[in-house]
Amino acid sequence: MRRVAAPGAYVPGDTLVHRVDARVKLVLLVLVTIATFAASAPKGLLVVLAGLTLVLVASRTSPLTVLRGLRPAAVVLAFSVVANAVVLVGQPGLSADGLSRSVTAVARIVLLVGFALALSATTMPTAVATALSQLMAPLSRVGVPVGGIATAASVALRFIPLTMDEVERIRCAQRARGAVLGGSLVATLRGWGQVLVPLVVALLRRADDLADAMCDRCYTGEQTSMAEPLSPRDWAALAVGAAWALAAALV
Amino acid sequence: MVELRDVSFSFDGERNVLDHVSLSLGPGEHLVLLGRNGSGKSTLGKLLNGSLRPSRGSVLFDGDDVSAAPRAVLARATGYVRQDPLTQIVSDLCSDEVAFGPRNLGLSRDEVRHRVAEALETCGIAGLAQRLTSELSGGQQQLLALAGALALRPRHLVLDEAESHLDQAARSRMRAVVRGLVAAGVAVLEIAHSGEALLDATRVIVLSGGAVAWEGAPEDFLRCREALETSGLAEDPVTVALASAVSDGAPLSRAGLVESLAPYVPESAARPTRGVEVCPLRAEGVVVSYDGLPVLRGVGLDTEGLTLLLGASGSGKTTLARVLAGVLAPDAGAATLGGAPVRAGMVGLSFQRPEDQLFCETVLDDVAYGPRARGAGDDEARELARSAAARLGVGEELLGRSPFSLSGGQMRRVALAGVVAARPGAYVFDEPSAGLDAPGRAELARVVRMLVDEGAAVVVITHDAGEWLDVADDVVYIRDGVIVATASAADARRRPGLFDAAGLEAPLLVRARAAREGATHA
Repeated sequence: MRRVAAPGAYVPGDTLVHRVDARVKLVLLVLVTIATFAASAPKGLLVVLAGLTLVLVASRTSPLTVLRGLRPAAVVLAFSVVANAVVLVGQPGLSADGLSRSVTAVARIVLLVGFALALSATTMPTAVATALSQLMAPLSRVGVPVGGIATAASVALRFIPLTMDEVERIRCAQRARGAVLGGSLVATLRGWGQVLVPLVVALLRRADDLADAMCDRCYTGEQTSMAEPLSPRDWAALAVGAAWALAAALV
Repeated sequence: MVELRDVSFSFDGERNVLDHVSLSLGPGEHLVLLGRNGSGKSTLGKLLNGSLRPSRGSVLFDGDDVSAAPRAVLARATGYVRQDPLTQIVSDLCSDEVAFGPRNLGLSRDEVRHRVAEALETCGIAGLAQRLTSELSGGQQQLLALAGALALRPRHLVLDEAESHLDQAARSRMRAVVRGLVAAGVAVLEIAHSGEALLDATRVIVLSGGAVAWEGAPEDFLRCREALETSGLAEDPVTVALASAVSDGAPLSRAGLVESLAPYVPESAARPTRGVEVCPLRAEGVVVSYDGLPVLRGVGLDTEGLTLLLGASGSGKTTLARVLAGVLAPDAGAATLGGAPVRAGMVGLSFQRPEDQLFCETVLDDVAYGPRARGAGDDEARELARSAAARLGVGEELLGRSPFSLSGGQMRRVALAGVVAARPGAYVFDEPSAGLDAPGRAELARVVRMLVDEGAAVVVITHDAGEWLDVADDVVYIRDGVIVATASAADARRRPGLFDAAGLEAPLLVRARAAREGATHA
């Protein structure tokens, strides 16, 4: 059964951004994060914004997705702008300084969310997990079980939508039995408690089955790495992205 | 070649789940393992791939005792495919999924790629390599799970009710792939709950209470009343027809099967008209879309008795079930019960594995939940719960126990009692019989028929159309969010064309019945 996709959920496609290696995208996200915080306002941020626009266009991600992704944090962001702008002590009134400072801070966050959503919308969750483990590979020399962490992360990511389906199914069945979900806070909490019991039981059973199925296929924690060397296109993307980030931080 | 020699197995050290079992499985064999729920079939399968180790006796692989060998020795040699594809798939991308096994073996990158291509090819799903696993239908996911097992190049394969979640067309595809494997020398052990598995069997073993109760050729199995009874298939319609055909000397083979079965298809008795007043459950002009993607486009349905809703995976039947039960508001159109718009709570709803829905501390509380939620007083709710439990065959002694301490079959009955207790005016059952053995399915069909005969409209969504046709009144076929046909069950039982038009494959007995009538008309 299909549901409305959450903002930032992977959208299958074959755009330029889809094709870039997940490792490159992850490294660039880190660089862009640093650059966005190092960039001066407004010039540096405009360079970052231009970069984000380019990425959204190249990945065919709608700016609306970014706005929807910001929705959960909208209240906090709005509050921080207001809190910085309004001066209550000393000479009460509006502070232009505070306002511009807080708008800049919020702008940085919006830009970062944009990049993060562009990455998650164009990269399969398991590919992100695999790329992370490949980037962490050197840590395996000091005894970190990188392969195990990567598998755990990728299975966890894969199970998120399945868990959401399960929750939806349980709620439907309970509503059909006359349960009213919602109402007062206590009633809402009790309603979720009812959902959690069967959910946890089902998830534990499923986790058991999955672990068995993985062992059936000889899983031990060590796997052949399927990482290809980066292609010239990936190197080019890395170079362009890094240069752009550097420019944003320096102007 | 893998062998069990005098193997016993116990989970708790007290009760043996398997009791002195010996069997061997050699290349090119297709061994069908029958028995009721809880007879130890899956345990036996798991001993063959090393995921369980015998408490007594030994497991031999090519003559060597591997009872104490590392798990990987048998896991490499014996592939295992389970019932539910969702609990076997670990990756987002199909080709990554198949690569999981070979990568665990530490093979080179090129070898992994080679094996992925080979396994996908064998299962006939090479075209799906770059698709997302979550986009596939249940049947495709199960073929993918099979490809994942085959990529290890196993010498034996255990199919643990691998087709119980699939529709007829997907079953046929899977069976064809498995026949190819057996011909190529793979040894297959199939755990089955239906008669159709016998058509591919080279040998049959019946388990009962953890011991081998019968072993022999499939034809002999069909001639042996006692073996049929023990396996639980004695009343299974396909098995009964096959048994009659074989005892009259017809060969048990796929070639010419429909024709040779034709004389033996039971004619179902005409259903007596019901005297009770029925509240009709209707859907009119129902439109639902997710994310701009239309799932139901103007669906109308009218049910007063037991209506089967049949359609391929992704046809919108589960969405329609939610609309009919009032738990999903359609974009347009409406569902009504006795003329009034359906609100949540008016129509009983159960999904596949309803036992997954239990949550109260005692069985009685769980069953009484519905009546309580509808405002019944404590005493009244308990009374309704007791009577629902009795109707569903839940013993009085279980009412004070935790639902989680019961067996699977008992849990399912408790969950269904919970749906029935609030006395809704109609019911929607989504895949109610998946995973039940033949006697369990027959019992369920009886209960559902009882609800209908008491005046409730019931919609059943099922892959096992063949089994439900005999108790149904009407059949509604849905394809791509549109109702493509509505027929009386009597018509549906003899017209394979209705199934074809809905993108489904007609059940074996429907095809056989059509063949017989074609012959008499000619």
